[in-house]
Amino acid sequence: MSTVLETPARAVEPAHPSRSWAPVFALARFEARELRMTIPLFGLSILYVAWIVWDTTQRQGDYPILQDVDRATPGMPLLIGLAVMLGVNRAVLRSRRCDTDRHFDVLVVEPWRRTVAHALSIVPAVLFTAVCVLVQFIWAALKPGAAGHGSPAELAVGPLTVLLFGMLGVLLARLFRSVFAAPVILVLLLFGMLFVAPSSGSNWTSWLGPVVTESGSNPLPSDLLERPAAWHALYLVGLGLTLAVLAVLVSGGRTTVVKAAIAGSVALTVVGVVGQSAGTPAGSTPARDRATNAPEKVQTCLKRGGSTYCAFPEWTGRTADWAEVVDRVQNLAGGSAGGERLTVRQRIDATYGLTSDTLISPSTTPGQVTVGTSWGGNRVPEFAAAVASVLVAGNEKAGSSVCDARMVTIMWLALGGESDPMTALRNVRLDDSVSGSAIVLSPTESMSMSAEQTRIVVELLKKPRYSVAGKVKAKWTELTSPRTTTARVAELLGVPAADKSAAKAEADGDSCAE
Amino acid sequence: MSDLPTTPTVSASGLTLRYGGTAALDDVSVRLGEGVTGLLGPNGAGKTTLLRVLATAVPPDKGAFTVLGNDPGTTAGRQEVRRALGYLPQAPGFHPDFTAFEFVDYVAILKELTDRTARHREVRRVLDDVALSDVRGKRIKKLSGGMRQRVALAAALVGDPGFLVLDEPTVGLDPEQRMRFRELIARAGEGRTVLLSTHQTEDVAMLCHRVIVMVRGRVRFEGTPAELTARAAGRVWSSTERDPGAWAGWRTGTGSFRNVGEPPKDADLVEPTLEDGYLLTLDGEASEVAAA
Repeated sequence: MSTVLETPARAVEPAHPSRSWAPVFALARFEARELRMTIPLFGLSILYVAWIVWDTTQRQGDYPILQDVDRATPGMPLLIGLAVMLGVNRAVLRSRRCDTDRHFDVLVVEPWRRTVAHALSIVPAVLFTAVCVLVQFIWAALKPGAAGHGSPAELAVGPLTVLLFGMLGVLLARLFRSVFAAPVILVLLLFGMLFVAPSSGSNWTSWLGPVVTESGSNPLPSDLLERPAAWHALYLVGLGLTLAVLAVLVSGGRTTVVKAAIAGSVALTVVGVVGQSAGTPAGSTPARDRATNAPEKVQTCLKRGGSTYCAFPEWTGRTADWAEVVDRVQNLAGGSAGGERLTVRQRIDATYGLTSDTLISPSTTPGQVTVGTSWGGNRVPEFAAAVASVLVAGNEKAGSSVCDARMVTIMWLALGGESDPMTALRNVRLDDSVSGSAIVLSPTESMSMSAEQTRIVVELLKKPRYSVAGKVKAKWTELTSPRTTTARVAELLGVPAADKSAAKAEADGDSCAE
Repeated sequence: MSDLPTTPTVSASGLTLRYGGTAALDDVSVRLGEGVTGLLGPNGAGKTTLLRVLATAVPPDKGAFTVLGNDPGTTAGRQEVRRALGYLPQAPGFHPDFTAFEFVDYVAILKELTDRTARHREVRRVLDDVALSDVRGKRIKKLSGGMRQRVALAAALVGDPGFLVLDEPTVGLDPEQRMRFRELIARAGEGRTVLLSTHQTEDVAMLCHRVIVMVRGRVRFEGTPAELTARAAGRVWSSTERDPGAWAGWRTGTGSFRNVGEPPKDADLVEPTLEDGYLLTLDGEASEVAAA
């Protein structure tokens, strides 16, 4: 077809550059609008925004740990990514489904440039996700109780997941001409992510998935997480680009730039895979051991009032909250306890990283109170109980083994200064009850209170604080003696005696034998 | 044949394309100028294949062609041909969830009309030209068959292409819609080259200044509609019974038979039509290939 037979009568000078990218961007804008209006993506986007608003207004999020907040952001983006994948897949296959290929294939923008446009049409969804993630994070970071540091790499995982799934949708459409291929492969992928790839981030294969969720019961300082988040972000970028460039290649774009791009993106992916291959350390590391066994070496101590507050560097801003609780409890105490110089120390078990769930052993150091890395909600009365137990028993170890009548004093000290003491009582008890015997939670080992002790504490909490406080201070020595019976404590504090059978049972319980 | 376009905008020579052992195009040479050229032929004659080749959808195995001076044998030339092309395929597909405006806009983008304001103005213009302004915001799935066909024509016309390829655009339309479509095609042929593939000889008679007849992948006639009609002069006659010597014959509304072929000596000759000429051109090996 190289021979031109005739001199044209009406030769048209090319009015366009040989291959302009402007139509690709115009098409990308058109497709982005179509993608945005697909029901799954539109619905999930609304749901995502609503969820962010709901989540950020919850009180349990008042003391966020930013290195946990960033790691929790990719959940909803994963769903957005799946919707983008299916939406863009259908968009790429639209011409085939609707039999417009025959027409469009003779138009100026070739199929491979249309593939580029489809890939670019994902970008607004990625940006939308990035904005949502940032809003979610910044909202948390601006809360007065926020502590810790977020990682840009962790925050990038959500948007990059959307990018990755979107590009996968484009590639699948170019490889398989059926609209059923993407959903089937999606199900297989989810199956693989859930059941085949190990969930632990310590295994390198788990990092091949887009989102590696590692969560623990207690937040850790950010430098102890040791997650290869930056490498993972690089891997996601590389993989997303590889899928996109492969799709362009499959649809006929075999230019030098495309070939160079595929080499570059594969290289990025490989570097990312190698970088993240170590995964999260499963066991101890020097930093984790130091934080677990000798936290004083890495902590900063601040003096507030008569007490000292030692916290990991990211938590020093929270010492004021601790001090407020300590002051509140000490104000109610009598004897020397009211002015005792306590040392509040943050203690964690970081030996196994986020998977550590060992209970912190109570401290035997006199006047030392343990505080964890979480705060807000139930953690506040739990800490107050720990402070009260140290004031009454001398140290945490002794305080955690109290099961006699001193529990009444401990619990009243812990809760008497609360604005809503009954709710605080409910929160600090394992079974959320305000009657009967129960386990009382604290930052270290739990304590226990009997049914009669509970009855007396409830009665005391119903009384005006000042009326009880005077009696507690006046009878402090007797109230904090292990030999004082529960009945005697009730009498000292002006609480009516229990009926005879209950008193008999309680008298037996005073021996802590139950 | 006389009256060949002296200033051809589309020239093809020796186009050959085989599907397996079958020659869909067999050494086809055509020259098209401004105005509407009709392409007639029975099913399987190669009309659609020729249109697809000229529209750069498939490259020929042999032969060459130019469109508005551009050689589609090169990548750059093919792009230029496509920039100058408006194509309405046979039984065109649509994106049913798009509105008429969105669909034509989409095609406009694929034709590299990138300035949004100018593009939307152009889309409105072509939709206005095909009398779809009132329904441009309606989803295509809610439009009638005739309206959809006009959407497809608008998509072909958007960007003011110099070469318009229409593959059986009037198939499936009712007489009124067909008449309306003829008006649109006639207007589209003003100042541009239109190649119209059709089974309807009336379309050719009413619209085309030239006509090409293809049979079994070859051009059997190329000339004016009058020349094609003239091929039947003296070869159409009326009789009370079907003449067994006629190549084709049928009873007319008046009850008499109209015969086409070589008439007997005392035959009652009647005025031939374009269809008679077309039928005789299809008649086996008797007709000469009249390509230019």
